Amino acid sequence: MYRISLNKYNTIFWLLFLVGIEVIAQPGDHIYVKDKKGNPIPHAVIRIQKDSAFSVSQEGSFELPLQLDPEVWIEVTAMGYDPQLIKVKDLYARPILNLQEKIGQLGEVVVAATRTDRSVENLPMPVTIIGNEQIQETGGMRLSEVLREQTGLQVVNNHGSGLQMQGLSSDYILILLDGEPLIGRTAGNFDLDRISVSNIERIEVLRGPSSAIYGSEAMAGVINIVTKTSQQRFSATLESRYRTFNTVDMGAEVGFNKDDWSLYAYFNRFSTDGFDLNPEVIGKTQSPFTANTAQFKIGKKLNKWDFKLYSRFYDERSANVMEVRGGSERRLADLTGERLDLNLNPTIRFTPNEKWLLTLRSMSSVFETNTKMRFQENLELLDNQDFRQIYHRTEVQVDHQVAKNQLLTVGAGHLIESVSATRYDDNNRFDAGYLFLQHQWDPTEKWNIVSGVRGDLHSQYGGRISPKLSGMYAFNDKFSWQLSVGAGFKAPDFRQLLLNFNNASAGYYVFGATLVQDGIEQLQSQGLAQQILIDPAQFGTLKAETSTAINTGFRWKLSNDLLITGNFFQNFISNLIETAPVARLTSGQNAFSYFNVSSVITRGTEVDWTYRIADNLEVSVGYMYLDARDMDVLAKIDEGEIFKRDAQNRTRRVTRGEYGGLFNRSRHSGNVKVTYQEPFSGINASLRAIYRGRFGFGDINGNLILDDPSEYARGLTSWNLSINKTFNSGVMLEAGGFNLLNQINLFDPTNPGRLLFVGAKLPLHQLLKTTN
Amino acid sequence: MKKMNALLSSLLILASFTNCNSGEETQPEVPLEAVLVENIHAPNDVIDRTTGQVTEVRPFRYFSLEGNKLVESQGGDWDIGFKGITIIVNSGISGSGSARGTVVSGVFDEMDAVPATANLISDGPNGLAIPTGSGNGWYNYNFTSHVVSPIPGRVLLFKTNAGNYAKVEILSYYQNNPPLADVSGFSTPSAYYTFRYILQPNGSKEF
Repeated sequence: MYRISLNKYNTIFWLLFLVGIEVIAQPGDHIYVKDKKGNPIPHAVIRIQKDSAFSVSQEGSFELPLQLDPEVWIEVTAMGYDPQLIKVKDLYARPILNLQEKIGQLGEVVVAATRTDRSVENLPMPVTIIGNEQIQETGGMRLSEVLREQTGLQVVNNHGSGLQMQGLSSDYILILLDGEPLIGRTAGNFDLDRISVSNIERIEVLRGPSSAIYGSEAMAGVINIVTKTSQQRFSATLESRYRTFNTVDMGAEVGFNKDDWSLYAYFNRFSTDGFDLNPEVIGKTQSPFTANTAQFKIGKKLNKWDFKLYSRFYDERSANVMEVRGGSERRLADLTGERLDLNLNPTIRFTPNEKWLLTLRSMSSVFETNTKMRFQENLELLDNQDFRQIYHRTEVQVDHQVAKNQLLTVGAGHLIESVSATRYDDNNRFDAGYLFLQHQWDPTEKWNIVSGVRGDLHSQYGGRISPKLSGMYAFNDKFSWQLSVGAGFKAPDFRQLLLNFNNASAGYYVFGATLVQDGIEQLQSQGLAQQILIDPAQFGTLKAETSTAINTGFRWKLSNDLLITGNFFQNFISNLIETAPVARLTSGQNAFSYFNVSSVITRGTEVDWTYRIADNLEVSVGYMYLDARDMDVLAKIDEGEIFKRDAQNRTRRVTRGEYGGLFNRSRHSGNVKVTYQEPFSGINASLRAIYRGRFGFGDINGNLILDDPSEYARGLTSWNLSINKTFNSGVMLEAGGFNLLNQINLFDPTNPGRLLFVGAKLPLHQLLKTTN
Repeated sequence: MKKMNALLSSLLILASFTNCNSGEETQPEVPLEAVLVENIHAPNDVIDRTTGQVTEVRPFRYFSLEGNKLVESQGGDWDIGFKGITIIVNSGISGSGSARGTVVSGVFDEMDAVPATANLISDGPNGLAIPTGSGNGWYNYNFTSHVVSPIPGRVLLFKTNAGNYAKVEILSYYQNNPPLADVSGFSTPSAYYTFRYILQPNGSKEF
């Protein structure tokens, strides 16, 4: 029976620490394995001398065999912790073993990288883990607020808060929820504000292309959001945060475990008044919105079978105001938006023996949006847009332990995707099938190789083969070097294929690649097209965007308390899809469509330095250098075909040195973080400085590229502080702020300026036990 | 507000002096003067943006490159005309003259002759000599900031009614030729053309 609550352990531990009572253990007494905070480690393994190894109990305790030589060494290991060697006689003297957590989350298990459980330090590719505690420490409510503090990740505005990784935008980053892809993008962007963080157990950040196991979209990398499951027999927690702009976040979760059944339910309600960076313009920068998130997970273990059913529901309503100008007349219009997201994800796992694991899973999702615009004066409907996307994927995966040092994974899947939208043509179903193969192999103690390949067959853009090879060599316990080479791709999305859009007031048209032929013919028959600008033979041949990338770097564990990791990357992306005019219309405007036009290169380095000065004080520094350029722009500069204007607006040629690369990318970015646990009061503090260097926000001088000092937004540093204390009852109180110095940049609409917050967390299950 | 000044651009003075010093004495060339024309106000028709209907038609502003002056009526001896972001030439569907025009890529100061490939045409039913639409002719239009920016590196070439060639660089669409960084698509007074041009009066294609 699991009777001992977490905080009781804390109390015992601190009592021992403070008073210094030495409890003398006898053979047969319990020895406890705990972390540095005094929480039991139930997955620890004890090895006495070299022969016998056994696990500790659920409470993290074990008994020493009778008549053991006091001079014998005992080794204690646990995943996620540095191993410890101790003599039997020392255990008799003090029957508590406190293991040190591996620095830099090195010991954490990652699923996303190989679709099998592997720890960070055993992966030959750049992976970082953002753990539950770290998420808690940021004080953030939405996923964007947590990710923006990570080295090498930026959150930029593009139809919501979009992620940028290795200089590539949200379009090229696959977002997974418990290993299954999340859908619902606007203009290619996945809005991170759709995800609440209080039910997240950990976030796995995988850099570099991963199309070899995930297919389309996993070109820059993968974010896997792993949500909480119930670990204890019963748990129930309420939490709430309040902050500036009348932002309220309230959550409740309940977990239950019995007879191999597990249940977990979560509900979150978030509401905010939004904020306004530019009060002279009517309407707020961020619309006020209310969002509800609900999640329900049920699982049952039955002998060799493991059944899971995960479901998630998301609903969001926003409102804003905008000004519509017609000639000299200005009228106000109300904007309302609604987003709905439903996911259902059943999984069956079968483990016939320790060498085989079979997984059958599926993900069904619906994503819907509706936006309406109405004139305030007469409620006349000016615009009404609907969007509905349905996604269904079924997949089977077989893992086979071929030998002790070889793990083979084979998977096959099928997906159906369809969209109906106001702006889309009707012909809108995609079918795709895929097959992937992965081999994980440790040829020697020092080598570790992961190779994989995936083939995708798609109804719209044909076939695609994505290979990836990663290897790591451990020079010694402290230093390892890794190299990963892979291919990535992104399929043309529905918008690029099926958009049928006519801006009546501005008089231009945008056609998806499969519609452009018919669209232009229709414009011609109506006498609206004046001149065709692109050879019609090129119509309708949109290919997937492709990339090849190299990631290479090191993990250098100078000591158990000092870690440096570095990664150098280069992504070469070709067949980038952009709009280009296809026809000039009699109105003087253009009709556009999508084409594979340009190629882009992004390269740089990410370095993290983590130092645990003491058990309760840790400092880390992260830095990223990024260089992202459009190769076609460079070629044009070299040919003298790109021009700029001086202060008198006269033309001259742009030089290579003036070219600043892609917009919205910071050449330099970084962070400094300090976390401190005050041992006597139990107060935790976390101070972070997050720097985003200057970046190009848009073209000013008319040549559409970044080449002029006036086109840069200044860099700024956001100082974030959070302080919390967990009481013996388990109640946690917190307060803090984001961007304390109120650094604002008009060109970054995801940054509202200073935010102050307070919050509380009530673990009801612990409170009940305490009162018992 | 219209104000016209003929003046030598400082760059050109510098360039031509250098030429004189290093040039051969047997060819005394009179350097052509770049003429700066400022703030020709040519507002567009009034259009209801919700319906796309024109509610008030406004006239073109007609300009003579030969005379460096505005011409009051469509019947006069004008070479080019302006209204909103549209530029017309006096021929074809736009007028009774014989003016021609086109847009080429290049640097105004460096363009010492009409390129052999340049095809000067009149305004026709299938399109104007200077094409309209963002990126097609002389300007880019930013749909989010609503700024009209003359495309750098675009030179407009014209043949006047009198048969002489001229090269033109549009400098600004905003009042008093402000640097583009200072322009707001919402508040800076627009449809004020500032441009500079060189007319070769001897009928040759050299500038």
